[in-house]
Amino acid sequence: MHDSQDIEAATTATVNEGRPDDKTRRYDRQLRLWAATGQAALENARLLVISGSATSASILKNLVLPGVGHFTILDHNEVTPEDAGNNFFLEGPSSLGKSRAEEVVRLLCELNDGVEGKADTGDVAEVLEKNPGYFGNFTLVIAHNLQATLLDKLAALLWSDPTYPILAVVNSTGFLAEFSLQFHEHTIIESHSETAPSLRIDKAFPSLLEYATSLDFSNMDSMEHSHIPYVVILIRALEDWKKEHDGKPPQTYDEKKDFKAKLLGMKMKADEENFDEAEAQAYRCWTETKVPSDITPLFDDPQLETLSPTSSPFFHLLYALKQFAAQPPHVLPLSSTLPDMKASTAAYIHLQKLYKERAAEEKKTFKGFLQVPVDDDLVDSFVKNAHGLKVLKGRKWGSLDQSPEVLVEKLSAYPRETSTHLAISALRASSVKHQNAKPTAEKLTSEAQALLPAGTELPEEFANAVGELVRAPTADLPNTAAFLGGIVAQEVIKMITKQYIPIDGCCVIDLIETWTGTI
Amino acid sequence: MASPNDSGDWQGRYYHIDQILDTPGPRTDEAFMAGDGVKNFLRNEAKILVIGAGGLGCEILANLALTGFKDIHVIDMDTIDISNLNRQFLFRPKDVGRPKATVAAEFIMKRVPGVKVTPYFGKIQDKDDDYYMQFNLVICGLDSVEARRWINATLVNLVDPENPESLKPLIDGGTEGFKGQARVILPTITSCYECSLDMLNKPTAFPICTIANTPRLPEHCIEWASVLEWPRVHGDKKMDTDDPDHISWLYGVAAARAKEFKIEGVTWSLTQGVVKNIIPAIASTNAIIAAACCNEAFKIATSSAAYLNNYFMLIGTDGVYSYTFEHEKRDDCPVCGGEALDMAISSEMTVEEFIEMLIEKQDIQIKKPSLSTPIKQIYLQAPPQLEEVTRPNLSKKVSELVDAGGEVTVTATTLPFSLSLRIQFT
Repeated sequence: MHDSQDIEAATTATVNEGRPDDKTRRYDRQLRLWAATGQAALENARLLVISGSATSASILKNLVLPGVGHFTILDHNEVTPEDAGNNFFLEGPSSLGKSRAEEVVRLLCELNDGVEGKADTGDVAEVLEKNPGYFGNFTLVIAHNLQATLLDKLAALLWSDPTYPILAVVNSTGFLAEFSLQFHEHTIIESHSETAPSLRIDKAFPSLLEYATSLDFSNMDSMEHSHIPYVVILIRALEDWKKEHDGKPPQTYDEKKDFKAKLLGMKMKADEENFDEAEAQAYRCWTETKVPSDITPLFDDPQLETLSPTSSPFFHLLYALKQFAAQPPHVLPLSSTLPDMKASTAAYIHLQKLYKERAAEEKKTFKGFLQVPVDDDLVDSFVKNAHGLKVLKGRKWGSLDQSPEVLVEKLSAYPRETSTHLAISALRASSVKHQNAKPTAEKLTSEAQALLPAGTELPEEFANAVGELVRAPTADLPNTAAFLGGIVAQEVIKMITKQYIPIDGCCVIDLIETWTGTI
Repeated sequence: MASPNDSGDWQGRYYHIDQILDTPGPRTDEAFMAGDGVKNFLRNEAKILVIGAGGLGCEILANLALTGFKDIHVIDMDTIDISNLNRQFLFRPKDVGRPKATVAAEFIMKRVPGVKVTPYFGKIQDKDDDYYMQFNLVICGLDSVEARRWINATLVNLVDPENPESLKPLIDGGTEGFKGQARVILPTITSCYECSLDMLNKPTAFPICTIANTPRLPEHCIEWASVLEWPRVHGDKKMDTDDPDHISWLYGVAAARAKEFKIEGVTWSLTQGVVKNIIPAIASTNAIIAAACCNEAFKIATSSAAYLNNYFMLIGTDGVYSYTFEHEKRDDCPVCGGEALDMAISSEMTVEEFIEMLIEKQDIQIKKPSLSTPIKQIYLQAPPQLEEVTRPNLSKKVSELVDAGGEVTVTATTLPFSLSLRIQFT
């Protein structure tokens, strides 16, 4: 045991080590979610936001605060009295008549001096017409309530080349809203999956098996016995079981029950919690460790057949993973993360060492399958998160509305979400045809019908949604704007950091009954 | 060009909101009085209380001001820290150290003309029933379970069936990382905060023997430094988790212990996270939940649309997943249920074991309970004289002191109410 002098000495040496700087302190609460890598990605991102509406400003607020690198607001309008009433990033009447882009950028920039903001008072219609290359300067483009023909044009342009920016399309009216992301493909290593990787109890690697079977349980003192890690107990009990059962783990319900009883029977004293933990984790003995069913389909990606040195590192890593998993025992590389369990420090640290050593060996094997050199940190992260990898294939914006059959299917599976989506699509189409005229339920219904196969019956939910749009066809409500501001910013952060999993589809929001749904 | 009138309004100011307030929608209740009546109530009569001027509070204040609430009160006992600035957007680096409620109120009044925000820099417990009675609505953006339980119980107790004005809708929001929830509580009518205590995650607590004897995780080393070493070395000096020097000391001690036991992973940031019990927080999640709360406040105040019945839960880690449902009222809720909570215990259980069991129970969450029956005191935590007198009861069996089917009243300083248990023996 240390005396206090030793501790004091150790303390003086490290007192200022690791103490965070101001920037780390400022971002502390978010770094705990996406770490320095996510933060760096955010700080390198360049956003374009089309319009300085209340909703646009709300979205940007939640991206400026965490420290996005750059944003531009493209908006040629002047601040109206209506804008000054519902946008927190305008200064009431004193902003009237000024450029909306400039005012909103100025007030947003006050939130974080590490962020570069730029106002562009150009007209998006003109930019699309004369300078389509403009959009290539950005990582991601956000468009709120953009007029339908311009939106179609913008979406088509950004879809035309997979290297062009991601497009976030946001539409809102009154209490109702929807948004979706247009991207070709999105790969995720750090999905922050909540399922833990396998501990390989059923397929114990040699050093682990050797350790578990070499321990002499019966000659341990009670302290040691009550601190054998459950991993060791399970491997040992499983080996013993297999010897008596033709090398097979417990299979039937009765066998499993029997096995659990045997585990508890190994106790020397009734209060040995480590054996209780083993019983609770016993399923690991008969749940075969294999490549998770979410990961297997990724191995069929056609890009793995046509890899070149310039292909993205993700697919090179995926290729190596596929080769790795093709070898017996057909598992993913071992993760060195060991959960906490009742154990003595020595036993736990030893076990941890065995896992780490084995993980390092398997990583070496894995790297042997790589066809190009890949940064070692990336390899580490890939291997550590292999059980949660994701490849999302995106869709062109608007493709849902071009598939009447799919819409009908969605309408019966998700009536309220699809009805609200249809109503919003109808309003967008109608406002191009009848600019300045107040929409009516009849007009919107016929616009929606035009997207569906003839004779499709619209549910009551559609009448509810259309009724709301007719009630407040041009309302950008502060609460709806704030809600969207949060939810869209969150998806943008996930896209930019390539962490967590963004929406796959169109997210529909109803703030009357307060629900969200993705179709 | 529009110019502001006396109330700070200008022509077109409420163009967006008035579209909702001038016309009912298909799902709007018939009682909705579209037009001037509802606008007058919202803008000239409604008085709303915001509890918390932090991550949620800043958002809530801005949303309420923009939707037309003009008389807003805000309570917060905290001052501004640099780590607030990544989301609490009414604060700037120059405000660090100042009271959150005051700075937030000043900012809103400067930005949104004609809105009056009255700050109170202090605790919600400082205020009495008369204070809470003056509001039409209460919105909470808190990070403390204890404060939520207090305001919930206070508003439930405020309800006088003879006086409809005494029923104050409570809208509560909370976030953690990409997750959050918003709910509407109509005290005594719908499920209350206490009814849903068992939905909270159990806080991670490490057994003291693990910390002292068998550390395995970096967290165990940090707990050793803060729980055992700090008092041993510093005696009565209080540990201040906001003082970087204190965190540095703990970090040094924890790192030394980790080295001794060959445990990896003790960092400054983890040390701070463990001792302060830091919950990750971002602007976007706060924006979503605060917007949901304010939207309910707006709908309740105006009847322009039905309000949430009664719980909205959001998980943003994998897509946007949300779940809206009606959380059921508990008949045996100690705050709003009126019925005693049935509890079956072994006739062999001692009072001490019974107290430990109560502390462990997720749906009660009590720290230092005192117990009594209608006729005698079983165990009292304070004052010291009574503690001493009742201490011998700790080793007695509950069944010696309470009859089967008898009632035990549980009180604690952290609870603004007393809990009645009906005891059965097995």
